[in-house]
Amino acid sequence: MSANPGQEEYWRQTAREYGAALERLAWAYEPDPDRRRDLVQEIHLALWRSFENFDARCSLRTWIYRVAHNVAISRIARRRRVEPVFVTLEDIEGQPCPQDVEKTTDSQKALGRLLALVQQLELIDRQLMMAYLEDLDAETMSQITGLSVANVWTRIHRIKNVLIRQFHAGGTHAK
Amino acid sequence: MPSDYLPDDLKHLWKELASNPVEVSPSQLRREAQGLERGVRLRNSFVTGVCCFIIAAYGFFAFLSKTTLERIGSVLSIAGAANVVVQFLKRPTRKLPDSGAIESIRFYRAELERHRDFHRGKGIRSWLLPFLPGPILFNVAFALDRPMFAPIIALQMVVFLIIAAVIVPLNLRMARRYERRIDALQVTHER
Repeated sequence: MSANPGQEEYWRQTAREYGAALERLAWAYEPDPDRRRDLVQEIHLALWRSFENFDARCSLRTWIYRVAHNVAISRIARRRRVEPVFVTLEDIEGQPCPQDVEKTTDSQKALGRLLALVQQLELIDRQLMMAYLEDLDAETMSQITGLSVANVWTRIHRIKNVLIRQFHAGGTHAK
Repeated sequence: MPSDYLPDDLKHLWKELASNPVEVSPSQLRREAQGLERGVRLRNSFVTGVCCFIIAAYGFFAFLSKTTLERIGSVLSIAGAANVVVQFLKRPTRKLPDSGAIESIRFYRAELERHRDFHRGKGIRSWLLPFLPGPILFNVAFALDRPMFAPIIALQMVVFLIIAAVIVPLNLRMARRYERRIDALQVTHER
């Protein structure tokens, strides 16, 4: 296997700086722990292989998120028998707030609620919300999703408002 | 309290998620990457091997056949099997972005379209249909030339045709499911 000299170095940098972010990305796509673990490994493997061809025409961060999202959504595409459950923002607003009765602390409850909301989002909205939560800038989000920067901002604003409303409504619910 | 969380707090909250990162080592990745490449080579070798066997068998029949119809059936079967090898080996593999030009939604859409096309129209026509006429013609010619085997050949043909007849609508149904998902994605993207 002829490796790009920087392949291992790029991957080490990815694991060091983006390992946790890739874990969170997997959380947003796979609620099941075993599948999530598989997804994380699949993402690392895909990144490792992709670094053979990485030519630094885009930033490393953009490349990593793009590959990671591609792997995650390809997994959904491959899983033929199980249809992905996506709902629109309007549907989310109409739903009762998700409750995680197993969690013990407020922080865990809140985290469980946030995760449940993110996991229900449509693909594009989910990608944008994850990027927003990871502090990515609009330009990077635009490169990852293919949406214009203006469209990214509009959507982020809309999703954020819906999630915050739902999240806070859930908090009241949980009391 | 959860209701106290503000947008920036949501970001902090989100970052509490990955508390137990999955450990992956470079040697493990190297092994898995090599394993994947080996798997692809093995799969290609298997399909090529099976098709080579079919080609050799029908080549043998073509050489020994007494009737022109059997020879034509053999030649068509050889061509069909060779076509399967060609279609299989040239089948586009799932590629991750290597030029930085593919956004993930477009990639997802391309994945869905690839699945859809494999299950309908050009996809089926390219590998299944070219393979059918050869064995059918050969069996018919075989039965005509050796009437004592006709019942067995007839049964064999019925099973063969039933399988072929079931494969087509099943594939078309899968293609329609992928089409619906592509439409849903399109609506979402344009919204």
